[in-house]
Amino acid sequence: MDKRTLYDEFDRLEEDTQGLVRKLVEMKQTMSKLIETNVNLEMENKHLRERLIEIEERQLELSSTKQELSKSRMNLEKIYEEGFHVCNIYYGSRRENDEECAFCLDVIYGERNK
Amino acid sequence: MKFTVNRNAFLAELATVQRAISSKTTIPILTGVKIVLSADGLSLTGSNADISIETFLSIEDEKAELTIEKNGAIVLQARFFNEIIRKLPETTLTMEVLENNQVHIISGKAAFTVNGLDADSYPHLPVIDEKNQLKLPVRVLNKIINETTFAVSLHESRPILTGVHCILSSAKLLAVATDSHRLSQRIIPVEQAMEDFDVVIPGKSLLELSRSFKDEEELVEISIMENQVLFKTKNMYFYSRLLEGNYPDTNRLIPDNFNTEIEFKVTELLAAIERASLLSHEGRNNIVKLSISSESVVLYGNSPEIGNVEEDLSYKNVKGDPLDISFNPDYMKAALKAFGEGEVVVKFISPIRPFTLEPTESDATFIQLITPVRTN
Repeated sequence: MDKRTLYDEFDRLEEDTQGLVRKLVEMKQTMSKLIETNVNLEMENKHLRERLIEIEERQLELSSTKQELSKSRMNLEKIYEEGFHVCNIYYGSRRENDEECAFCLDVIYGERNK
Repeated sequence: MKFTVNRNAFLAELATVQRAISSKTTIPILTGVKIVLSADGLSLTGSNADISIETFLSIEDEKAELTIEKNGAIVLQARFFNEIIRKLPETTLTMEVLENNQVHIISGKAAFTVNGLDADSYPHLPVIDEKNQLKLPVRVLNKIINETTFAVSLHESRPILTGVHCILSSAKLLAVATDSHRLSQRIIPVEQAMEDFDVVIPGKSLLELSRSFKDEEELVEISIMENQVLFKTKNMYFYSRLLEGNYPDTNRLIPDNFNTEIEFKVTELLAAIERASLLSHEGRNNIVKLSISSESVVLYGNSPEIGNVEEDLSYKNVKGDPLDISFNPDYMKAALKAFGEGEVVVKFISPIRPFTLEPTESDATFIQLITPVRTN
């Protein structure tokens, strides 16, 4: 390769690199926009879900036949069946692999005057 | 420091303290083993953030063939030191500390010179008040450990549940462990009157402790301090950190009214559970179902994509209401293995409430609890 082609080659490479950088900046901007919308959607989804659970619970309360459990315990049971802990040890965290939890069961069904 | 010792005896001591030595530690000197030579014998120490083990090789131990020429102390990198000792040619070895913490190790024609660290910079082990002690035979302690530690939680999300809750009060020692899915509790009567305690010992420490014991007939002395527990045998000091925080109240988890009771031979039930779990392990849900009526007791395993299994169980005795209950067979297996031989009575309330397992000749000293799986 003679010196001249070498120089041309460098010119070309420089252009290419600048192009790449432009693309990179563009992609990064798009990505941050996407992340932003994603977070917004997630939040909205969460709120909607909460609303949905609320509505479902209200319906369940109305149509419920099991009167052995008090309303508040039934709420807890509902949350538990949704896959979350209701015991004071893990409260609010997800039940991994839907494994049962003895503490939650005690909270829901246990006798309180022990 | 200069001494000569039997290589195998020394290796055995080294292996014990190495249980406590981890290569991944933030304190570099803890990757080493501390060797201290006094007029009575040789002591080795290994430690990590959680446990520390100190062993003592007495000069009176004939097998160890220990001869001491000069007292002293040194810290050596545990990993390669062990390798060196293991590969030495003769049955005895001689170690001598030279200047600048260099150590000369000689066995037969082989001679190593390795760099050590100053023993004074090794952290001090906690000082524990030895007046307040609980004495137990090693065999009994091992039994308690085997009966409870399998039930500790392996998740760090609630660190307190990774420990075994030990309570000493009114001449009884209670040990309980739970990962919230199952629970195992053992109570033993104890004679010594020491101050009551209520501590949570990491399950991992207890397993290491159990593996470190050499002689089942020995006595172990247990002392408790603010955040440490010491298990002391004739030739070993085993320190463990205690877990901080309040252990949840497990007493209320154990029911006392039941609707269905059934008695099994442990070995027979275990074998049946193992058969049924062959399929449940392959399937997506790891569940087996037990169907109890006054005429028969049947165990089902059903994995839609693989196949199903059904077994008429032989049982000793059944009473109470009929019941269908599903559960994870692995918890049942672990529970039954802790019973060993003998007979077990399984007591149920309902398909959604935890059920218990106890030895038939029950004096309420050993009880296990398993939560069923809700299916609908």
